[in-house]
Amino acid sequence: MSVRDRLFPQLLLGPISLLYLLFLLGPISFFLAMSVFRYDAFELYVPTVTFENFGRLFEDAYYRDIVWRTLRIAFLTAVFSLLLGYPLAYFLARTRSAWRGVLMFLVIAPLMSGVIVRTYGWIVLLGSDGALNRALLWTGLIKTPLAILNSEAAVLIALVHILMPYMVFPLFSALASQDRDVERAAGTLGAGRLRTFVEVTLPLSRTGILMGSALVFTLTAGAVVTPALLGGREVQMLGQQIYDLVLSTLNWPLASAVAFVLVACQFTIIALYFRGGRRKGQG
Amino acid sequence: MPTDPVLDLRSIRKTYGGTLAVGPVDISVVRGEFLTLLGPSGCGKTTTLHIIAGLIEPTAGTVTMGGRDITYLEPPRRDMGLVFQNYALFPHKTVYDNIAFGLRMRGRSKDEIRRRVSEVLDVVGLPGVEQRYPSELSGGQRQRVAVARAVVIEPQILLLDEPLSNLDAVLRKHMRLELRDIQRRLGITTIFVTHDQDEAFEMSDRVILLNRGRIEQSGTPEEMYDRPATRFAAEFIGEANLLDGTVTAADAGGLAVQVGSARFRAPAGIGGLSAGDPVSLMVRPERLDIAVSRPASAAALEGRVTKRIFSGDMLGLTILTTDGMEITSRKPSVARYREISVGDTVWAVPDDCWALPRDSGAPGAGERS
Repeated sequence: MSVRDRLFPQLLLGPISLLYLLFLLGPISFFLAMSVFRYDAFELYVPTVTFENFGRLFEDAYYRDIVWRTLRIAFLTAVFSLLLGYPLAYFLARTRSAWRGVLMFLVIAPLMSGVIVRTYGWIVLLGSDGALNRALLWTGLIKTPLAILNSEAAVLIALVHILMPYMVFPLFSALASQDRDVERAAGTLGAGRLRTFVEVTLPLSRTGILMGSALVFTLTAGAVVTPALLGGREVQMLGQQIYDLVLSTLNWPLASAVAFVLVACQFTIIALYFRGGRRKGQG
Repeated sequence: MPTDPVLDLRSIRKTYGGTLAVGPVDISVVRGEFLTLLGPSGCGKTTTLHIIAGLIEPTAGTVTMGGRDITYLEPPRRDMGLVFQNYALFPHKTVYDNIAFGLRMRGRSKDEIRRRVSEVLDVVGLPGVEQRYPSELSGGQRQRVAVARAVVIEPQILLLDEPLSNLDAVLRKHMRLELRDIQRRLGITTIFVTHDQDEAFEMSDRVILLNRGRIEQSGTPEEMYDRPATRFAAEFIGEANLLDGTVTAADAGGLAVQVGSARFRAPAGIGGLSAGDPVSLMVRPERLDIAVSRPASAAALEGRVTKRIFSGDMLGLTILTTDGMEITSRKPSVARYREISVGDTVWAVPDDCWALPRDSGAPGAGERS
């Protein structure tokens, strides 16, 4: 292959690289720099290097709580999405039923309406006069409406629903691309259904599990609208905090430090995903 | 060879939405034998094998093993080892863990598993690959691991679903002998599925030829080759010249058949033929001798050589007879035949004929074992 032949594919990466350089790496460098600048009430920021923003993040209980809450909600959303999404993806990947198309559509459906519409939908469902409370009151299971809104539970429920497609599709593609004969082989060797699932199906869908979990985790960690509308002031998460710091408080250096922590968490998760996805024997 | 049946298929049928895939089929498998299900694609051979393995439930009929009805028994509870066409090794497990899997499911001790895995790797000629992953093995090695994984559990029956079809031609030929060798060493009853007649012949004690879901014929490779029961069997197995003729006499000594201006004798064959019946006379190309001068006997067809194909050890000749039939002959490439060239007038002299009823192309002649 000549030098020109080798250069051509690299040339194809040119436009997208330029776009990323200008609109991703540029702003990221800017906010990385900003995160070590000093906050100033009159001049917005003073370009002198300081670590007081990060110091505040880790010492101030308020911010520490927000970091932990964000990580906890992101983790729980990923776990619940996985627990609910796996059986669904498994069914979709294996069924020959006519319902498959309908279910596929239902999985994609959340992506077709905006995140704000879906979040308001959950407000209607979960409110103290909402469909869920009315149903529970009617059955007599509860006497007074449950206060679900403005709680972590509300945020969790809505995020699991909204992000379900990001969990189901990686799982579906991992399960659908499995060679069914491998499961059959386990059967002929004496493994029952459960053993076959644990020994063969589950480990072979590992890339789907990792991919789906990483997607849901990072998307939850960066979520702004859903926690703001469903969690209220009680459930502050990092995304919303950045929003407030940038637009209301106008403390850009601290906002950048928060953003830095958020991006660092997301990068860690993605790095773990790539490490986990590249184990031996996966061909 | 002992003759107690280990496996019995009785009137097995499988339909998919009204379309018959298999059956009715009756197969009896004798302990220790190497039995091959042979047939073109879509003949039902793999479906039959999967019914035996329990991966497919038959629509009707029974499968018994050692006298026990196993028709609807789940695969894990059958005592069979299956080698899949694509091997279906566990890609996330090492060779050791692949082979150990069946033993672990049977609750064997760690020590026993270690010993048995290393023994079976010796048997299949692959020592020292325990810690490799399937993706790090060649096609032939994967195939051996698949066989090792299936036989290490010491199943009553080993099932092989076209295990050689994914190998290149040279390796395929080598693995035929290898597989047969492993089977003999272990003395394990084996059912092998293939569409390749050469494979079937070289490996099997007995061959069952399937066509459109039914058994066309069964027998030893030699019986199948020399004495096909139907026109389909004659044409599917090897090459055959089928000469249309008429029976002129049938007696204890066999049949006399008139083909054009020539007259041949053939064994009484599958029976039921009498004078006046239209027959196809089968002559295998290598059993058709070529003479360059008119032979004394009337059992010869005169013609002209239209094609001469030299393939090193063999010489193929196509002859258009004066009666307008095209026949082929395959002879060793020795001086006597090499002298013949296109355009020469020759006489084709069959040294072995086999008469088939002319309308015997229909399937379903049934098993004749």
